[in-house]
Amino acid sequence: MIYESYKVTEEVDLVRASLNGDKNAFGEIVNRYQKMVARTVKGMLGDSVFAEDIGQEVFINLYYSLSEFRGEAKLSTYIQKIAVNLTLNEIKRRKRFFSLFSQKANNEMYEFEIADYDTEERKEASEIVHKALMRLDPKFRIIVTMRMLQGYTTKETAEILDLPLGTVLSRLSRAQEQLRNILVKL
Amino acid sequence: MNKSEIKKLIISSLNAEADAVGVSGKLEKEGISYNFSENFSDKVLNKLFSAVLTVNREVEFVKYMNFAFYRIALTGVAAIIVLLVSIFLREGSFSFNSFLGLSDNYDESIVCLLTGNM
Repeated sequence: MIYESYKVTEEVDLVRASLNGDKNAFGEIVNRYQKMVARTVKGMLGDSVFAEDIGQEVFINLYYSLSEFRGEAKLSTYIQKIAVNLTLNEIKRRKRFFSLFSQKANNEMYEFEIADYDTEERKEASEIVHKALMRLDPKFRIIVTMRMLQGYTTKETAEILDLPLGTVLSRLSRAQEQLRNILVKL
Repeated sequence: MNKSEIKKLIISSLNAEADAVGVSGKLEKEGISYNFSENFSDKVLNKLFSAVLTVNREVEFVKYMNFAFYRIALTGVAAIIVLLVSIFLREGSFSFNSFLGLSDNYDESIVCLLTGNM
């Protein structure tokens, strides 16, 4: 890959180079953070082609708003915020669409493409996590995705979601309760 | 990890004091990982820079339009000035009649002209 030469470049320099129109520097940013974005987007929307489109949109939005990034927060936090906003908007859009044109239930709005797993156990684990996430209310799902898939602390979760810490803590405990009920049935 | 262990892990990840990084690592080991397709970054760059090219073309078009507008507007202003100067030189004033080209006609001749009584 062309952006191989940027592998060890500092984040700030990558941003600066991207702002100067360096395509490869931005390519390295995409490479570094695509997995993180995939966890948020696919965790929230399901593992589908549409999720990949949203993922692409996240980086396109990032490119156009890069000049607004002042470096006060981490670039990962900035990207994560864009990913969360776009994903929540997509959920709202789907909800509107399905309430108008379809009788499908909430949890049927999301698709899941079963990947090839080397063992039956892994496949089962992946299915459990996916099904549990998709049955959660989106406002709890985003918190669970941040904690369980991204490994953020409650403080970091609150910062990314622009929510008070107390709200995050109360949503966490309610999400846990909802998850328990969901997992019993799986 | 069996089914019930996975479920326990999921539930425990939501404890406020849980080691979330550890839990997400364990889940990833169990095959719960999300990735975009291969060449994702190339796809993003292609989308991004072909879009930039389109925007640039649009901007260029607007620039040319602006330029053409100014040229047309300047020519128009110049024509109006020449017209005013020629009216002033011919009629010696900027009266309403001189603008309408009626300065040489008497009122009676206009009446005759309109009524057809020559």
